[in-house]
Parts: sequence; structure tokens; C-alpha cells
Amino acid sequence: MTIGLTSVGGAAGPIRHVLVKQRKWLTEGELAEQFGISQALPGATAVNLAVIVGDRFAGPFGVIASLLGLIVPSLLLAIGLLQLSAQLAANNPHYAAAEVAVTAAVAGIFISNGIRVIGLVWNDTPGVQPAWRAARVAIGALGILLVAGLHMFIPLAMVIMLVLSMMIETRLNAGAREGSV
Amino acid sequence: MSAQIHTLLAMAAHFALLSLFAVGGGVKILIPQMHAEFVLQDHWLSERSFTELLAVAQAAPGPNFLLVPLIGFRIASWAGAGVALLAFLVMPVTIAFVAGRLLHRHSNAWVANFRQAFKPITGGLWIASGLVVAATIDHALVPLAITVIVTLIALAVDISPIWWCIAAGVAGYLI
Repeated sequence: MTIGLTSVGGAAGPIRHVLVKQRKWLTEGELAEQFGISQALPGATAVNLAVIVGDRFAGPFGVIASLLGLIVPSLLLAIGLLQLSAQLAANNPHYAAAEVAVTAAVAGIFISNGIRVIGLVWNDTPGVQPAWRAARVAIGALGILLVAGLHMFIPLAMVIMLVLSMMIETRLNAGAREGSV
Repeated sequence: MSAQIHTLLAMAAHFALLSLFAVGGGVKILIPQMHAEFVLQDHWLSERSFTELLAVAQAAPGPNFLLVPLIGFRIASWAGAGVALLAFLVMPVTIAFVAGRLLHRHSNAWVANFRQAFKPITGGLWIASGLVVAATIDHALVPLAITVIVTLIALAVDISPIWWCIAAGVAGYLI
């Protein structure tokens, strides 16, 4: 377990590769289900997944082993990188500029990931009327406005959006049962 | 010494609260909140070190939430990293442990419904995080251009984001 998660170090792609393809601990469908639960619970998705999968295969000790495997090696590496990076930036203005450029790219990655998700919200629901899909997208737009525009306390913004979004989904589910949406 | 303990405790309280709201979109939806708390409110980090932490957390291999112990490390060295990590993990790990056992036996209908409801929230908050990060960088032309270009290219070409970080780093170094 420790070895398995050490070698992947985190992100969703590698996790899937090791758990499903290499070790065959989970099927594709099981992983999708555990991943969904891990995402819906508070905390980092990778941590929640490590807890659930670790517990399932080796109980509480599995949880500890998989958490240590997930966190310790990559954290030590990241701290080493941070120290190195700070030293380089202090001595070399070119490196400092490179660091700013990487952060600018990070911002771009976040924005494009977000646009991709909003695109899925619009596209992935055939059979749902455009007005309802627009309502879903509007939830996302509201989030941008509240957080980036108005600098609202994020937990509060999330509660507002979740209430609205759950109202939309509940109406849609009720409509789907009557066959009218 | 007591000043440091005070900082560590205050930091633990920040991260313990934040951990409960890292739902659906991982740690990156909380970046604007962390920026507001640690840089603007408590002055524990400068804008410059916050930028550096984001770059390193994204470029380093490993889960994205490593940003949390990295922030702890920058504020209060190894003790800070340990405290930030534990404070951020203890409640979610407990919840995941219990929920994993319960949900294994029960229906997952609410999970499906919740995920659907959360998708637009995640998307919106990711975009908001990107905008806030872009706004924390110096308002120079080159970083702005990089943000816009990466946003557009990453939409068209779906490869690991590490490549955009490397490309941007090289471009930033040379320009």
C-alpha cells in the first residue's frame, strides 16, 4: 500500500493508473464511485481516497500506511524544492521572473480547468432544457462574482451556491419523475 | 517562544476551519481565502512568498493539498508544516473514515445528487481562484499574457498541467 501510493504521489491520473491498471485493487467503476465520495466529502480528494481505499483493504493500519505513503515522500520533496527555489530566486533575478511566470501559468490552468467543468455542466446533460442548464451555469458565474469580484468569505459563498444549486437539482429530479423535463 | 506557540495555534485554527470547506474542488478553491487570511489579514506571508508557494505546490509532484503544509513551513518552519498538516487532516480523515464505512453499505443516490449540484460551484470557484491568483501577481504585461495564453491553450490541448508550468518557467527565465 505504502509503496503503491508512494510511487504515484497524488494526482487523479496516476492514482487511477496504479490502483486499477497496475495493482488491480479496484475496478474502473469502483474507483469512480470511491472517487466521487472522496470529492463530495470535505478535505483533499487524494487524502479521502487514501483513507477509504486503505481502510477497505487493511483496516485502520491501511489508512495510516496509505496516508504516510501519500504525504511524506512528496512533502519532503516539495519542501526541498521550496528551499532551493527561495535560494535561487534570491540570487538570480531571471529565476525570480521564471517563478512569477509559473504562477501566472498556474492561474491560467485554474481558469481553463474551471471553464472545462462549466462546459461539462452545459454539455453533459442531454434531455435537460436549456433554461435549466443555463441556471446551472449561472451558479458557476455567481461563484466567480462572489469570490473574485466581491471577495466574499468563501465558506459563506459556498453555502449560498450550494443551497441554490440543490434547489435546481431537486426541481429537476422532481420534473424528471413526472416526465416533463 | 510563546509567540511562536501562539502563531502555531492560530494557524492550526485557520487550517482546521478551512479543511471543512475543501469540498468538491480540492484545495485550490480555497486559495483566495488563504490569500485573504494569511497575506492580507495576518501578514504572515508576503505577496511574493505566496506566489512562490503556489508555483512550488503546483510544480512539485504530489497531491495539490501539499500547498497547506508548504504554507505552514514558510510561516513557522518544520513545526509549522507539521501543525498545518495535522490541523488540515484530522477532521476530514475522521469524516472520510466513518463515511467510507457507512456508504459502503448504503445507497449512493445522495452522492450522485450532491456531485451534480456541486459541479457548477467547483467550476466557478476554480475560475475565481485563477482570477485571484492572477491579480496577486505584479501587473506586468508578461505574466498577464502567460495567464491568457495558458488559459486558451490548456482548453484546446488536454495534457498534464506540469508541461504548462515548465513552458512558462522557461519563457519567464528567458524573457
